[in-house]
Amino acid sequence: MTAVPILKIEDLRTYFHSRSKQAFIRSVDGVSLEVMKGQTLGVVGESGSGKSVTALSVLGLVSAGPGVISGKIGLRSDRIQKDLLEGLGEFVKLTTKDGKIMEVSKDVAGWRRGAERIMSKVRGKEIAMTFQNPGSSLNPFTPVGKQITEAIRLHTSTKTEREAKERALSWLHRVKIDSPRLRFDHYPYGLSGGMCQRIMIAMALASEPSLLITDEPTTGLDATIQSKIVDLLEELKSELGITTMLISHDISIISQLSDSVAVMYGGTVFEYGPTKEVLSKRGNSKHPYTSALLASIPSAQNIREKRYLQAIEGDVLDTINIPTGCRFYSRCSRMTERIRERCVGHEPDLRETGSRHKVRCWLYFD
Amino acid sequence: MPKTILEVMDLKKHFTDRKGLFHSLGERHPSIPAVDGVSFYIKENETVGLVGESGCGKTTVGRTILRLEKPTSGKILFDGKDITSIPTDELRRLRGQMQMIFQDLDAALNPKMRIRDILSEAITVHHKIDGAEAGKRISDLLEQVSLKKSKLSNFPHELSGGEKRRVGVARVLSVGAKFIVADEPTSALDVSIQAQIVNLLRDLQKRLGLSYLFISHDLPVVELISHKVAVMYLGKIVEIGLSDRIASRAMHPYTHILWSSLVEKQNKENPQKAKSVQADRWGVFDFERPVSGCRFAPRCPVYESSGRPAICIDPSTEPQLEDIGGSHQVACHFPL
Ligand SMILES: Nc1ncnc2c1ncn2[C@@H]1O[C@H](COP(=O)(O)OP(=O)(O)O)[C@@H](O)[C@H]1O
Ligand SMILES: Nc1ncnc2c1ncn2[C@@H]1O[C@H](COP(=O)(O)OP(=O)(O)O)[C@@H](O)[C@H]1O
Ligand code: SF4
Ligand code: SF4
Ligand SMILES: [Mg+2]
Ligand SMILES: [Mg+2]
Repeated sequence: MTAVPILKIEDLRTYFHSRSKQAFIRSVDGVSLEVMKGQTLGVVGESGSGKSVTALSVLGLVSAGPGVISGKIGLRSDRIQKDLLEGLGEFVKLTTKDGKIMEVSKDVAGWRRGAERIMSKVRGKEIAMTFQNPGSSLNPFTPVGKQITEAIRLHTSTKTEREAKERALSWLHRVKIDSPRLRFDHYPYGLSGGMCQRIMIAMALASEPSLLITDEPTTGLDATIQSKIVDLLEELKSELGITTMLISHDISIISQLSDSVAVMYGGTVFEYGPTKEVLSKRGNSKHPYTSALLASIPSAQNIREKRYLQAIEGDVLDTINIPTGCRFYSRCSRMTERIRERCVGHEPDLRETGSRHKVRCWLYFD
Repeated sequence: MPKTILEVMDLKKHFTDRKGLFHSLGERHPSIPAVDGVSFYIKENETVGLVGESGCGKTTVGRTILRLEKPTSGKILFDGKDITSIPTDELRRLRGQMQMIFQDLDAALNPKMRIRDILSEAITVHHKIDGAEAGKRISDLLEQVSLKKSKLSNFPHELSGGEKRRVGVARVLSVGAKFIVADEPTSALDVSIQAQIVNLLRDLQKRLGLSYLFISHDLPVVELISHKVAVMYLGKIVEIGLSDRIASRAMHPYTHILWSSLVEKQNKENPQKAKSVQADRWGVFDFERPVSGCRFAPRCPVYESSGRPAICIDPSTEPQLEDIGGSHQVACHFPL
């Protein structure tokens, strides 16, 4: 069976206003991605590269302006086949210059009304999300068991209180909360970070979504707890076949859990393809940023030999001042004289270099 | 033989929990034994890594050594001199020799001051030098930490994370410190910037002969940068030794679990052994639980699999660090 995409994001753009700089923060600036049914797509990139904003855009949860301004978000689940941004384009007017968006006028109220009409059937039900900060999805004033029970009654065919409660309990069990009956009546306050992640995962999965988006599920947790969460996600994937978009800045977690991966930088996807190829140090036709990132992580060998790390010089991209050419230009060590002019002057597209492997770099296109 | 720059003996720091549960009951405040009998030494030009889960007391060790906290008991020798209870005016002189790089990037950077003023203040507080000389010193510092001169007129909020960290390092060097406690110096930084800072710290050590206590939860980085690594659990060091031995031939069950939790390693190396010491119940420890015997027993897979030997939970036989040869010490009755 060939894999079919459940989620297909095309050329998504989500901008914010920077009041102090009087300019756009181009947080998501032309992102295209697919999440295949039954698979895990890893989205990896440094802080500020636009991972969370991409996810929030998919769920229609971007609150600041102008927010999502263009693109397509195709959802193809068993129940719904729809572009989640369908018909919303009419609420936005973009003024471009040299292919760059210079001005945005958006009828925010109109957009929101239209988006909510679509999203009310999708959010929580078709696509569920867990957040790095549990406060974003757990209500501090309601016991965790009750929150899961409510999600079940709202989003699934299980409607009676008693049945929903049983299911909620079995989900707590499923995510390996110890003494689930006891925890059922606990409030989120006072639960450890690892426990909160488990509960968020239980709550997200309890509504039986077609797609789970999990944003930095291990970030900020101790290494020992991290590896337990990774084990859990791995188990859920192999046993329940859940389709997942896994967001993390941690390459080792992405490489362990994902089938394919998108490497983000400065609001765009730099490299996209099977995890084995993209995140292996010896892979072919890789983006210079991905290679450099992999090289900068201490490996068994350079630890043994106590060598210096191969740092990427320069600083992470400031998404207010996007350069005209390649976003990695100022830090790239692989640019050659042959392509310099193009690197400076034109942003490369994300293009195929091998089967299902795409790279945004002039090195690979003549 | 390099000289010992810092020696810590049976150091304790107990906090009284002001907001403690028992407060309203009129009982004595329970005390939190954040650091509960820690001993180790650091030689000149050496880096000792300090690892352990959050809350185990790493930062408190660092702060107490620098006398930013008052020790409850124990002894701290710096450069051969007992500094455990020296008075405040002597402390000031000490600050010219030992300094801390704080985990929080903004901690030591006054948001209202320009970078130039932050650095020149740090220089003139500890050394009586005039404007021109201070200017020269600042240029030297910028070069040492590879920071662009143009950043001197910026305010801290105008700098990136990596640049703030460089200023933090420059500030510590500006006072002439030889011994530096680096508390999670890379944890707030992006992956691509972390390597720059790790390299910078190693480079400075070589050029200036610095000694570091390097606190971090990033085990590969600790392993790379440290000569020795100390593993802390609930206020105590449970194992200390040369970094490659700690990483690949851990003797304490806790150390082993820490390193095998590194996702990458778990796959490749010795999965059998890793499984056998992998803890199933892996809760979070708390200081409220009274310690009896080995503090790690409630989570220890070896304790569990050896039929819960009584010696592990006997209050009179709490395991102490013992030499097992090769500058390696471990506190466990049944080392691996
Ligand atoms: N509500 C907002 N208002 C303004 N800027 C925002 C907002 N949310 C995110 N950003 C900016 O968008 C960029 C991308 O953020 P994010 O997607 O959170 O990055 P990450 O890849 O770390 O998840 C960052 O520069 C961030 O500061
Ligand atoms: N000023 C303080 N007052 C009370 N408790 C403190 C104080 N500082 C630290 N602690 C407690 O001491 C323990 C160790 O903290 P810390 O040294 O910060 O650990 P680590 O750096 O390993 O994460 C924690 O339980 C912490 O809550
Ligand atoms: S396009 Fe040019 S500058 Fe950009 S990553 Fe490729 S080689 Fe480097
Ligand atoms: S002394 Fe016993 S409980 Fe403690 S670490 Fe060793 S085996 Fe485990
Ligand atoms: Mg994020
Ligand atoms: Mg700390």
